Amino acid sequence: MPTIAIVILVLFSAILAGVLVVRPSITVSRAGKILAFGVLFFLPLFSLLAGMDNEMERSKSTAFCLSCHIMDSYGKSLHIDDATYLAAAHFQNHRVPADEACYTCHTNYAMFGTFKAKLGGLRHLYVFYLKKMPLPEDIKLHEPFNNRECLHCHLGARSFEQGATHNADPATLPAIKANTLSCISSGCHDVVHNVGHWGNNVKFWSEGN
Amino acid sequence: MPAGEFMIRRLRISGALVMIGLLVEALCLVWSRPIAFVVLVCIGGAFIGIGVLLFLYSLVSAAPHPTDSAGVVRDKR
Repeated sequence: MPTIAIVILVLFSAILAGVLVVRPSITVSRAGKILAFGVLFFLPLFSLLAGMDNEMERSKSTAFCLSCHIMDSYGKSLHIDDATYLAAAHFQNHRVPADEACYTCHTNYAMFGTFKAKLGGLRHLYVFYLKKMPLPEDIKLHEPFNNRECLHCHLGARSFEQGATHNADPATLPAIKANTLSCISSGCHDVVHNVGHWGNNVKFWSEGN
Repeated sequence: MPAGEFMIRRLRISGALVMIGLLVEALCLVWSRPIAFVVLVCIGGAFIGIGVLLFLYSLVSAAPHPTDSAGVVRDKR
């Protein structure tokens, strides 16, 4: 449901609740009792659930993640004009949906993964508002990046399954799939955002160029 | 205080709580900041939740209607 529709529903429910506050005597009739049940039970709970669902969906967007200024450098890293930067290559080539780029890689593709990702987001809020914020280059992942998140898309893809490097040693592919050989930190795809290590010669891509 | 007035007072309070919660929710929906979700759930959700619970409590704790009592007597016979 679009945000504007939910806002209209919420305001409509609030107006009806206001009518009950001003004129509670309308609940004397049977129709008034039904109205009161709808306005004070069904509509508020439905509105709350719809609003929470809308906020959860919005929290997946790239714009949402980048709305904290501490994430500016990470947003900028998506536009680095260098294919060796993993995040930039994925974002610019639409290997991940551009409007959900952060969430697509940083969610957890296990059971309750979205819920765990949102809990992680709450921890970010806690640090942002109540603790001393780290420098962007000092931000670390909560736990080592699991290959499962990469394999969610790449497993079965020709470039992954039949890639020359992945098949140079017959033990490599099974190790990647078993998460014993990390895609990110084993020295193969270790240039991801690299915030704070860009140097002066880094160029940026902008859409339309 | 008569039972009817007591019920109306509770309806008013629960309606006001629900209305405040819904207004907080509407503000959060148009406020594009990461804290908006927390405000929506913790403040808006709390107002709505307490309002709904108070409404339900006022229903179950309301004095029985005279016709309901008559029905009980009829059933016993």
